[in-house]
Amino acid sequence: MSESAPTAAETRRIAEEARDRVRFEEEALQLSDQVYRVARRMVSTREEAEDLVQDTYARAFRSWQQYTPGTNLRAWLLRILTNLNIDRGRRVQRTPEQQPLEEGDYFLYNRLESTISDDNPDEERVLERLSQNAVVDALAEVPHDFRDVLVLVDIGEFSYAEAAQILDIPVGTVMSRLHRARRILKQQLAEKAMAA
Amino acid sequence: MGCGCTDCEKMMQPYIDRVLSDDQIAEAKEHLAACPPCEKRFRFEEKLRAFVRVSVEEPMSDGLKAKLAGLRSTL
Repeated sequence: MSESAPTAAETRRIAEEARDRVRFEEEALQLSDQVYRVARRMVSTREEAEDLVQDTYARAFRSWQQYTPGTNLRAWLLRILTNLNIDRGRRVQRTPEQQPLEEGDYFLYNRLESTISDDNPDEERVLERLSQNAVVDALAEVPHDFRDVLVLVDIGEFSYAEAAQILDIPVGTVMSRLHRARRILKQQLAEKAMAA
Repeated sequence: MGCGCTDCEKMMQPYIDRVLSDDQIAEAKEHLAACPPCEKRFRFEEKLRAFVRVSVEEPMSDGLKAKLAGLRSTL
């Protein structure tokens, strides 16, 4: 039975599967820059990010048949990545729920504007008060749970619904964490700009 | 600052995230057209979002690219 030569149908099925697999792998690899971009900001170092992305692709290629063609492959890969990141037992951080935050979304603008002597500077000049390094440092100060959401939505450009699916949390939680993450980021940015 | 438009301020994040209804977008646009301080803060916010994205960009190393390519199945 199992020794018999494969039928034409079986041969065709095997060839199709091989073709689907190659296609899946190619599509996944095309997204690797975007996956890395998110990974890099979810962990502290380049080395950790590289390990995480490598483990993600190894797992994705092993379990490629669990991916439903036509659905969002980028989100599927990031779901694997965030699960692996949690499995690694990333260090637990204090949740800053109790920490008071500046109220209002205009806060950062107003603080930065106050450091410029001109009356009514345009927004480009206000933005120039921030350096790229300050952004990297400020983002690193945002606690993991909040940062993950911010990284997915503001840097990975995922929708709230996609971020919810990736992190396996309700959309409402995505929105509240995002809100808080942005406030923390702005507070950090303001502090760094004032200290500079 | 010369603007006490707290409703507008609350709409800023959802506006930039493009999750407002058509009516809410129209309302926000109407207000922004009439309120330069808010308009400027909205433009700042959009630019800030883009600046954050660019600032944290760190290209993937060629080494990692090669490693990922090496994970492909061999046929």
